[in-house]
Amino acid sequence: MNITKETDLLIIGGGAAGMSTAVSAYENGIRDILILERNNSLGGVLRQCIHNGFGLHRFKEDLTGVEFAQRYIDKIKEYKIPYMLECFVIDLSDDKVVTCVNPSEGLMKIKAKAIILAMGCRERTRNNILIPGVRGAGILTAGTAQRYLNLEGYIPGRSVVIVGSGDIGLIMARQFVLEGVEVKAVVEIMPYSGGLPRNMKQCIEDFGIPVYYNSSVTKISGRERVNSVEVCRLDENRRPIPETAMKIDCDTVMISAGLIPENELTEQAGIEMSSSTKGAAVDECNMTSVPGIFSCGNVLHVHDLVDFVAEEAEETAEYAASYILGNMDVSYSGTIEVLNGEGAGPVVPCRINRNIRAESANLMFRPRNKYRDAVITVKLGSRILAEQKSIALTPGEMCRISVAGDKLSGAAGPLVVSVTGTINN
Amino acid sequence: MYDVIVIGAGSVGSSTARELSKYKLKTLVLERGHDICSGASKANTGMIHAGYDPLPGTNEAKFNAPGNRLMYKLCDELDVPYQKSGTTIFATDDSGMEELRKLKRFAVENNVEAEIIPYPDLLEKQPDMGSEVKAILWVPEGGVTNPFSVTFALAENAYVNGVEFRLDSEVTGIDRADRMDSGQRSAFPDGANFVVHTKDDAIACRMIVNCAGLYSDVINNMVSDEEFKIIPRFGAHVILDRKLSSKLTTTLMETPHDLPGGGHTKGMAIAPSVGGTMLLGCDATEVKDPDTTEWTMPSVQQIIDYFKKAWPILPLAKECPEFPEDQIIAVFGGCRPHADTNDFVIGEPDDAPGFVNAGGTESPAFASSPAIGEYVAHICIDRLAAEKKDDFNPYRKGKKIFRTMTDDEKQQAISEDPDYARIVCRCEMVTEAEIRDAIRRPLGARSVAGVKLRTRAGMGRCQGGFCSPRVVEILCEELGLNPLEVTQCGGNSQILAAPACSLKAEKEA
Repeated sequence: MNITKETDLLIIGGGAAGMSTAVSAYENGIRDILILERNNSLGGVLRQCIHNGFGLHRFKEDLTGVEFAQRYIDKIKEYKIPYMLECFVIDLSDDKVVTCVNPSEGLMKIKAKAIILAMGCRERTRNNILIPGVRGAGILTAGTAQRYLNLEGYIPGRSVVIVGSGDIGLIMARQFVLEGVEVKAVVEIMPYSGGLPRNMKQCIEDFGIPVYYNSSVTKISGRERVNSVEVCRLDENRRPIPETAMKIDCDTVMISAGLIPENELTEQAGIEMSSSTKGAAVDECNMTSVPGIFSCGNVLHVHDLVDFVAEEAEETAEYAASYILGNMDVSYSGTIEVLNGEGAGPVVPCRINRNIRAESANLMFRPRNKYRDAVITVKLGSRILAEQKSIALTPGEMCRISVAGDKLSGAAGPLVVSVTGTINN
Repeated sequence: MYDVIVIGAGSVGSSTARELSKYKLKTLVLERGHDICSGASKANTGMIHAGYDPLPGTNEAKFNAPGNRLMYKLCDELDVPYQKSGTTIFATDDSGMEELRKLKRFAVENNVEAEIIPYPDLLEKQPDMGSEVKAILWVPEGGVTNPFSVTFALAENAYVNGVEFRLDSEVTGIDRADRMDSGQRSAFPDGANFVVHTKDDAIACRMIVNCAGLYSDVINNMVSDEEFKIIPRFGAHVILDRKLSSKLTTTLMETPHDLPGGGHTKGMAIAPSVGGTMLLGCDATEVKDPDTTEWTMPSVQQIIDYFKKAWPILPLAKECPEFPEDQIIAVFGGCRPHADTNDFVIGEPDDAPGFVNAGGTESPAFASSPAIGEYVAHICIDRLAAEKKDDFNPYRKGKKIFRTMTDDEKQQAISEDPDYARIVCRCEMVTEAEIRDAIRRPLGARSVAGVKLRTRAGMGRCQGGFCSPRVVEILCEELGLNPLEVTQCGGNSQILAAPACSLKAEKEA
């Protein structure tokens, strides 16, 4: 099949990342843009986020997710940026051709000068984390529960045990309590929450919901529907201690155990993946191994706040614009590898071009533990390029540190990011 | 009154019903579950075993190889996808070699083609097999299909050809005319040998075929004194995402062996599925509850540990050096109906003329089911001297699967039905057109699981997280349901509990 359409910038995904890249690309001089969104409206998961706490950084306002999305939808409409809804991308190739379908246009092959991957992420399921027990109704992820409640208008269960303490689960715990659902427990495998401290405070502690740390659900029981779970404490090797088994009656098990970037298209295109972040391996411009294909937002790495998704997306779009306009130096002079050292989780970007294209490289990662009086350092060999102190760090919140470009220019690498401080799990 | 009542609408019952539907008979299928294919046929790898391994002389040996051959024919007639990709049993040590030679002897006796190929000659068949493999038994007739699709297609074809089906109809008792006193017998319609009771009905018939799988002992023991007992054997399967699936060109099995803790296993297998994912498993644990779907960590860990260890010698290791644990998208389990006779229980017990067993149908019953169905149906057909129908239609057309279409076919399909461009299940790329068809078809889906088993919507890596709310909506649109009425799989398995705001109001009131 032949190319049915050409465009300068094609954006896959119309959620927070996709919309912010579109707006930013427009503001950076790109006019021929097309957003492909598989849902029947723009906004992605923000459509079902009716709680507040969005936009504090980006807009200095406390917005709901829906309001946050609307800011971008309004801009897209103001700029008349084209977008196609109910458009499902089937294939992406490394020559920047996207194959997609839409009910009114049929099958299309769209060739773009640059592509931004903004597909977001999906939730880890009960099977991904291998929770034993029965099948049956009443087992669902927090995002699906959120969709049932906020978009469809139905409560999925009357008494719920939450597995994992990811942010969506915490938000849903509060909403369930307000809906009259009994929230029996939050069961977290780690010694600390995977969510934001503010969500732990406002959604769990304020409502007196019991949290079992260092524990896991070891059995789901029931027949047609869930009727109880078994919870065990874990030993130092994270294995359940059978003597600690405790039965909790519930009709619903809600999984909130983390998110997985949706990189199936990225992999189909043969784009190099990072074994540490599980997203595309990108440089300081968020450009992938295929020149002209960029990645940002939760498909690149799972963020804590949508504000930072938007910020990352806007920066990515600036680079994509400069690539399209021919202003980007695409000559290759090698890269500086970026590694996560002690105390730091996988870092994005995973490499920086030696002829760095940015004024500074912004490095993002999550700490491996909860820390007090922490210091984040970025080292090149024994040389400290950047250092940042923090009173407290937690894996639920991302760390961001930037390194001035001139310090990196010509360096061989690798660059190592590490965290030291008092572990406070 | 019915000529024949078939009890159970799994693969054996549906195959029996379809065979009966070729003849001028009034046939009824009673199914305990909410849907066709809701017992052992659902928790099944879909392997079309060739019949090389059953002990010669048993019913398993008698029906497996013919069933295998018939299965391919059925799949062609009923438009069910399959892969005749062969079975490869690999041996890595002397005791494994001994097993291969034994299997080869069985294969010869069972009239199944099988060839022992030593290393390195086996590389012609399996180029990427590790050098630790001493030899393989290559069984070309082995294959895989989708056990749900086969069962649904058989039932649908039987239905279209005049067989009646009643779902949610558990048999609670069976009366035998010959065991009634004359007064009671007068209540039986003329010619009726049995009255089959369900919670709602008492239904008379001339003959019964017992295809009740995990409950085939219960049904048999209602009628015959030649009792047998089903020992449910639970097995778990682990499913891997489709990323590596194109590299798995055959079903790979280790050789059968004794287990360290006692017992015997046919060996771990890794099988491609026609849907594109891969199935790993399975173990066998005797359990009490035939309906349980509860899997435990030790049994799944055993599967994972085996494949972690064996992975380097498997052809997939070339593409992916280590067992891809992060590609596990699902675990499922279910029971197989193992009879204490250690074999399929087939035919009429001596003390119950007119009552035909097709029970004890553990593996390889799925592969055998077309032959079992044909055999037990013909006991009825012969006894009732039924004539062949002139208008039997052996064909059924499945809905075209969007995911496997070429670009041109996709374009064509969307132009004819724009619902083909509405992707509901993103992971398995299942369209709204396919989902609506699955509900509208004869004996169509009535639940979320019904849609899943018929279309694969929800079988992928997100396990229905994205698509199930939309599937609920489509079920409501098609069946005129309220979302609160939609179930996972019938009974009390409602997906949703209450309208938003109602619980709070309930509590305050």
